[in-house]
Amino acid sequence: MSAPLVEATGLEVERGGRPVLHGVDLTIGHGEGLALVGPNAAGKSTLVRTLAGLLRPRRGTVRLKGRLLSDWPREALARTVALVTPDDEAPPMLTVADRVMLGRYPHRGPLRPFTREDEEAVTRALRQTGIEALAGRRLGTLSAGERQLVLLARGLAQEPEVLLLDEPAAHLDIGHQLQLFRVVDQVRQCGVCVLAVIHDLQRAAAWAPRMALLHEGRLLADGRPRDVLVGEAAARSFGVAIRAHEVPETAEVVFRFLDREGSQETRG
Amino acid sequence: MTDARRRRTFLVLAIALPVVVTLGVSMGSVSLPPLGVARSLLAAVGVPLGGSAPLPPSSEAILWSVRLPRVLLAALVGGGLAVVGAALQSLFRNPMADAGLLGVGPGAALGAVVAVHLGWAHQVFLALPLCAFAGAMAAVVAVYLLAHAGGRPSLHGLLLTGLAVAALAAAGTSVLLVATEEFRVRTVLFWLAGGLEGRGWEHVRLGAVFILTGALALITLARPIDVLSLGEDEAAALSLPVHATRMAIFVLASLVAGPATALAGSVPFVGLVAPHALRPLVGGLARRLLPASFLAGAVLVVVADLAARTVSDRLDLPLGSVTAFVGAPYFLFALRTQEGRA
Repeated sequence: MSAPLVEATGLEVERGGRPVLHGVDLTIGHGEGLALVGPNAAGKSTLVRTLAGLLRPRRGTVRLKGRLLSDWPREALARTVALVTPDDEAPPMLTVADRVMLGRYPHRGPLRPFTREDEEAVTRALRQTGIEALAGRRLGTLSAGERQLVLLARGLAQEPEVLLLDEPAAHLDIGHQLQLFRVVDQVRQCGVCVLAVIHDLQRAAAWAPRMALLHEGRLLADGRPRDVLVGEAAARSFGVAIRAHEVPETAEVVFRFLDREGSQETRG
Repeated sequence: MTDARRRRTFLVLAIALPVVVTLGVSMGSVSLPPLGVARSLLAAVGVPLGGSAPLPPSSEAILWSVRLPRVLLAALVGGGLAVVGAALQSLFRNPMADAGLLGVGPGAALGAVVAVHLGWAHQVFLALPLCAFAGAMAAVVAVYLLAHAGGRPSLHGLLLTGLAVAALAAAGTSVLLVATEEFRVRTVLFWLAGGLEGRGWEHVRLGAVFILTGALALITLARPIDVLSLGEDEAAALSLPVHATRMAIFVLASLVAGPATALAGSVPFVGLVAPHALRPLVGGLARRLLPASFLAGAVLVVVADLAARTVSDRLDLPLGSVTAFVGAPYFLFALRTQEGRA
């Protein structure tokens, strides 16, 4: 059997001198879709950044295709793993096409000119994310949701094997959310593994075949979304009671979230 | 922005530069006929037009030994400072960053005054531009470290840090001036006001070596500069060595701005106005913005120097005051627009 695509073992990570992750083990294979959930300050962004090689673990290892992350040359790593974060700090005068083209940096480096292959990758990424029409627009003129799709397109233009998404749908309306997860599923079908931090538990459960629950730097549950969400660990870490209801005559499951204190109820 | 507008902008700049250089060498206390000047310049680069000598020998002397080196140096200084401005704006991810506002100019001045004070400037070859380079480098690194001490700085935080470092450098310059022997003070004061009086070919050669090398290297680094402008995390995730790239930009920016200040004194606002005005025309990518800024900065400073020489019959204005008279109002206007948007 070939090595898993991503394999984290006993990850301990500090940020600003404060320990954030306390021994996380996580394995993800080709074409897998994993939703990473957890309450605020659970360490989700830290885990994603560590898997991308931006943070060095104090203890433990991350292996990518069986090889230690620290042994990967920078460019090769950025051609294999793409990270899409929620904040876009790019200059407002850049056009969408320019922005997405910079995703080709790991393929061409500082000096080699961009080729037809790069242009095709950019066009493909713009088409997949449905923002071809925005190609010539400046970033400063886009809505927050549109900018988020531009960021995803930049990640896709990297043509990675691992796509790490931190809150990819935070600013998106429901139509764009569904579109985003459809795009993500398309790239998964091509063998790309996708790990996405998702706040909206209902959305996470609807999209992901697998869910991992992170709480205070520890992985408390990992499995089918339904099993993870109705488990005791999820109830404890979010401080709510979670009930699953099957929608009659469909395979869908709807979750209800009950505030334990005031017995208030919200339906996701 | 369309490709057509981008091409048109480059074309206009490429035509404007030789035109203003020709005007710059033609106008002054003694007027030379621009057509004769153009013919003489073209003949010198191997394009002879017409049989007779284009200019009388006295005019040729003024053209070649006085005007041309001065105008070429103005173009080099302007182009270099504009490229540095554009690069620093990407580095600080702030369209209002500028070598002058970040304390680079005052830092370079302090470095140069140290060289004069210690007598190195007269004894050691290249001591003046090298000390200016060191001063500029120290200032920009200080501003960067101080401003980023508490995370990514706001526009205000950045400008105020630059102001503080500039004030500190200026204070150091004043103290050194008081302590410097009188015969040397004149050289320094003359030079601090900013200007290109009495600059000859040796200055052009010096400027060409430092400024062209630095500016060309910055233009070569355009793509890393663009990736860096996306923010630290994204740049690192795209495989850019963030700290090495930043240091390279600091060194190259100081390599240009330090000697530019050593040769022409303080020439403020060029690095701000040129890239700011060009962004809507050529877009935000450094690959296009940096070369366009070089051309525009060169045009601006050649024109500013021409104005400094010709506005008054009786005296030459300091070059730095001319660029400040134009640049400061532009800066205030741009600041208001930017604040309005933020």
